[in-house]
Amino acid sequence: MQYFEALGLEPRLTLDAADLQQRFYQRSRQWHPDRFSTKSAPEQAQALEMTALLNDAFRTLRDPVARAEYVLSQNGLEASTQRGKDVPADLLEEVLDLNMALEEADHGQITRSLAQFEQMQAAVDSQLASQFAAWDAQPTPDTLQPVRASLNRRKYIANLVRDARKALDS
Amino acid sequence: MAYSDKVLDHYNNPRNVGSLDKADPAVGTGIVGAPECGDVMKLQIKVNDSTGVIDEAKFKTFGCGSAIASSSLATEWLKGKTVDEALAIKNTDIVNELSLPPVKIHCSVLAEDAIKAAINDYKAKASTSKTAGVEA
Repeated sequence: MQYFEALGLEPRLTLDAADLQQRFYQRSRQWHPDRFSTKSAPEQAQALEMTALLNDAFRTLRDPVARAEYVLSQNGLEASTQRGKDVPADLLEEVLDLNMALEEADHGQITRSLAQFEQMQAAVDSQLASQFAAWDAQPTPDTLQPVRASLNRRKYIANLVRDARKALDS
Repeated sequence: MAYSDKVLDHYNNPRNVGSLDKADPAVGTGIVGAPECGDVMKLQIKVNDSTGVIDEAKFKTFGCGSAIASSSLATEWLKGKTVDEALAIKNTDIVNELSLPPVKIHCSVLAEDAIKAAINDYKAKASTSKTAGVEA
């Protein structure tokens, strides 16, 4: 997986943020286009290409959700493909009910709902952390599919958090 | 990106918002979702037993304007159609009617999936009630 390779890393869902940043800075200095201003045109082009790749890689890998989506997409599990649409019917019904409750709720109820949604989000995040560790220990389709399911759930909960906050602001 | 006039019309005046009784054997319910954007869409049909025609269609969608417009339009088209005619509705018909841009095509796919899910649910209910009738 190109983004991990660019930063000299093995593909892992769990990464150390400080180490990642250090690798990014170090390689960005190494490939900085200013250092190639007197080099040949192909070398200059390569430096530019590497710099762009490092930027994309760092921006993607530093965020756990974006990082997991990247690993999933590299393994044919993008959210937009049929295999990625792993949303159990009961989750959809739950989200539908929560959304409808939000529509009719008053300020106090929304405040309580928001706290509930944030708790749900924290629960998914801690579940994701252990699923990340499971895939890191044994990178197989069987350990990756649960990550897809959790990210799908997380997206719905994140939308509920967003909508509840918006309702409180208005 | 600007929404087309038809999308805005359905978004501002959505048709057939609401719910039908899920437990009614004449009602088919489809709930589908698009995890990439977090949209959720519920579409329900009520089929007239003797004619096989869809008398009523309702929807409830939480999502972007295009998802709401796609499901609103779908319920309009469903009313008065037979179940088999309804199955012939394609997402591309919705794309054309609403002039959806490429990034919003998945909203029309969601609406087509919701139609199919609702019809499947209705058919599954109809076949179990028939079996139950024979046994009784």
